[in-house]
Amino acid sequence: MTKRALITGITGQDGSYLAELLLDKGYEVSGLVRRSSTDTRERIAHIVPRVHLIPGDMSDQGSLIDVMAEAQPDEVYNLAAQSFVGDSWKQALYTGDVDALGVTRLLEAIRRKAPSARFYQASSSEMFGKVREVPQVETTPFHPRSPYGVAKVYGYFITLNYRESFGMHASNGILFNHESPRRGIEFVTRKITDGVAKIKLGLADELRLGNLDSQRDWGFAGDYVEMMWLMLQQDEPDDYVVATGVMHTVRQFCEIAFAHVGLDYEQFVVVDDRFVRPAEVDLLLGDSAKAKRVLGWEPKVSFNALVELMVDADMERLAPIAAAGASEPR
Amino acid sequence: MTTRALITGAAGQDGTYLTELLIGKGYEVYGVIGPAPGAFRDGIGRWGEAYTVLSADLTDMESLLRAVEVSRPDEVYNLAAQSSVGGSWVDAVTTTEVNAVGVVRLLEAVRQTAPQAHVFQAASAEMFGNGAEVPQRESTPLRPHSPYAATKAYAFHIARSYRESYGMHVSSGIMFNHESPLRGMQFVTRKITNTVARIKLGLADELCLGNLDAKRDWGFAGDYVEAMRLMLQSAEADDYVIATGEVHTVRDFCETAFSHVGLDWRRYVRTDEASMRPVDVDVLCGDSSKARRLLGWEPKVRFEELAAMMVDADMQLESQADGPVRS
Repeated sequence: MTKRALITGITGQDGSYLAELLLDKGYEVSGLVRRSSTDTRERIAHIVPRVHLIPGDMSDQGSLIDVMAEAQPDEVYNLAAQSFVGDSWKQALYTGDVDALGVTRLLEAIRRKAPSARFYQASSSEMFGKVREVPQVETTPFHPRSPYGVAKVYGYFITLNYRESFGMHASNGILFNHESPRRGIEFVTRKITDGVAKIKLGLADELRLGNLDSQRDWGFAGDYVEMMWLMLQQDEPDDYVVATGVMHTVRQFCEIAFAHVGLDYEQFVVVDDRFVRPAEVDLLLGDSAKAKRVLGWEPKVSFNALVELMVDADMERLAPIAAAGASEPR
Repeated sequence: MTTRALITGAAGQDGTYLTELLIGKGYEVYGVIGPAPGAFRDGIGRWGEAYTVLSADLTDMESLLRAVEVSRPDEVYNLAAQSSVGGSWVDAVTTTEVNAVGVVRLLEAVRQTAPQAHVFQAASAEMFGNGAEVPQRESTPLRPHSPYAATKAYAFHIARSYRESYGMHVSSGIMFNHESPLRGMQFVTRKITNTVARIKLGLADELCLGNLDAKRDWGFAGDYVEAMRLMLQSAEADDYVIATGEVHTVRDFCETAFSHVGLDWRRYVRTDEASMRPVDVDVLCGDSSKARRLLGWEPKVRFEELAAMMVDADMQLESQADGPVRS
């Protein structure tokens, strides 16, 4: 029998990779999409004919119940979120409404309309914030340092509560940073690769960044969505850290990205205080030994390969724009 | 100059004791009261002109902005919450709307219009959940085991984030159970003392309870509101466990309450599956040595005294000629 999956946040980076993965596996895929006057479907344009998009909103409980009734999912992946840490300071309320309360609304909708569905909650390494130990594992206490991190901690616990008290098959993936050419332009990795391509193509002459010494454990989104799927195929629901276990600085990311197009990052990168966060998180480094042991999961794309993949994609995207611009007088 | 305090949840048990305390210290108090019991409204007059009732709601940002603008507070005490753990399983969404996102609304309202105000956030021992170290202290990892507890953890974390990132004077009191004659009837201690009184007066003949072995660290609400005020007088905002450090079972409480009126609890108490929570938490016992050391706070009312005080108050309430005033 064909399995049915519902993905919230299907128009995002992870949603689009996950939708591809599930379609390849023969799922019927539905996706929750927010009404918007602008087109938010760029990342899923290539699969739109094959997915069933249902309008709804994480802040509207009635809509979630309707969506659940319509999709009748066997598996629900909650990837919808206000996912930018920096903006969570400017929109603390909205972040709480969508990222925290939205999870409860969704779990309640599942209880009403699809009680046997399995549930995946996208938890985040930002929950560790001011880290209590390095590397972080499933048992590391949380100390979130942003409204985003705080909301994600709530989402984690409410998922755990519904699993333990209602016996739902609900699991958390504690995902460390994961990037791709589809990463939003507001995230530092994509901002860098976009900036590198623009500089290389003569569309920009500098790249302004916050703290270059910030370190992160960056993996490839395409690898990470596979892990989400694996978690829901287990007999028992559980929580897993998903990470590469290797840390790099923003500076190293810049170095590799610029070098890939034959440039020296030091000539173009400018540190701008406006991009420094009010409270920076410490050493976010994940230990995904449990995922490797129990699920047999392992990341495939290396750090260098990831950076180069992203730069290549941005070069390809911007080259026609640069070519068109060059033919016109400035 | 008169200190001005804004209290949300002002009609609740803690709000009432806190108001008494602050008015006694010469504060001007602005109380945000929700659907308050008639008995509370009837008593407002005793506070005179120092007390102003405001209408606002944690689900309504605009109303909170107005409340802060009108009260121009030096101190803000956020005591409003959907405070029943059991109720949070029935309505997790509303509980979150009020207890979690509501705190962000209030902090935003304070940040926008009275950023210098000192803020108290009522956190809860329920945040520690199961399997925590005993006793629990400020550094104990949180493992909330109910929607209520998850919302309180959210509020605790967001309060700390506002303190650390905006430099606001925001403190959380991790309050262990605190009781009084004003405790709501849905809470186990009050359910016990009220039923004891009714049994003693021939108005009831049994008491149905959930898990008798559940252990709690119960203090007196009047003592705990002192800790709240002390936290806001401190030069540095911080988080504190507020607890007695003594643990008793529900059975202990029954025994003390029944024997206070000369009855044997075993003849009246029966256990009832329906009163059990989906997941009950283990031993909650707080280590408040930080508050004792830095704030000079200490609980004054002991366990036996607390149970007796509550039974006495319920005896008086239930024996009134015209019947009890119920909300």
